[in-house]
Amino acid sequence: MKAEHTRRALLVAAASGSLLAGCKGIAALGPVPPPGPDVITLEHAIASEELMIARYRAALTALVRQGRHPDLVAGLLTEHSRHLAALRSRLVLPPRLATERPRPSPTPPPVPAGHAQVLDYLAAAERAAAARLLGQLQHVPAPLAQLMASIGACEAAHAALLGGTRPA
Amino acid sequence: MTRASQHSAARSRASQHSAARSRASQHLIAAMQAALAAEQAASYGYGIVGSHLARFAPKFAAATADCVAHEQARDSLASMITALGGTPNPAAAAYRLPVRVSTPTQAVGLAIVLERQVESAYLGMVAAPEPAVRAFGATQMQAAAVRCARWSGRSQTFPGLPGEQAG
Repeated sequence: MKAEHTRRALLVAAASGSLLAGCKGIAALGPVPPPGPDVITLEHAIASEELMIARYRAALTALVRQGRHPDLVAGLLTEHSRHLAALRSRLVLPPRLATERPRPSPTPPPVPAGHAQVLDYLAAAERAAAARLLGQLQHVPAPLAQLMASIGACEAAHAALLGGTRPA
Repeated sequence: MTRASQHSAARSRASQHSAARSRASQHLIAAMQAALAAEQAASYGYGIVGSHLARFAPKFAAATADCVAHEQARDSLASMITALGGTPNPAAAAYRLPVRVSTPTQAVGLAIVLERQVESAYLGMVAAPEPAVRAFGATQMQAAAVRCARWSGRSQTFPGLPGEQAG
């Protein structure tokens, strides 16, 4: 428990450093420490999850426009929102930074036309994200590695579900 | 410091190092044994799954393929444990199944439970500092989650993690 608190405290200091790097005001407080590799990795994982959610929102809009029932895609989107919340909870930001101007949501690549193509678009993103997490979880402390392994496993499962379930 | 006491200090440092190394490898072996036990149980359990499915049906072929995947993971884990100087724990002759199986639907239910047990069993290896061990655990968690989703037709938000404490 104590070790975990210490870890979080370190992530706070490093995270504020990485986000304030472009801000002149902080210069008065002395040089900003560079963020550690674990913080950078976590920020990348958070950014990937944000992009995944943007893809799902765009895909949902496309499916509704096609007159499709987007139940599967909506369900998977909910799981991604919970992944994002879990990842963000591991990056402890000072209150002022956390509330100040949230980052704009990323713009996903255009969604292709056709129902099967939309599902392929998501499945390919899921497979890539799962593969990327296998590399990223090498650069973070054990508890975060376990969370990333679990999220990667969920994403691999999403790709399988989008690619069609096993025949009866 | 005399030469003799320098020698003795060096010996003590060396033995502390080797003790730390041996503790780390014990820890690693314990994590692998946990995964091995789950893979052994899954290899056994899929035999039961297959025995309740119609032969030559797609589900039977799927159960056979999944069983082979678990046997391969089991054998890899046994080799990894041996390479570290450990002895792989033997499989039990029989296992108490986590669910009662007498119909094809219950057989599918057993496959789902087996995969979930395997997912959790790899968490210890994912926590290991050795990159190869961590990668093996995370890769196997993905494989188990894919098999689980194919059997159940749905995903779990945080495969392998206990309860809802993932945040």
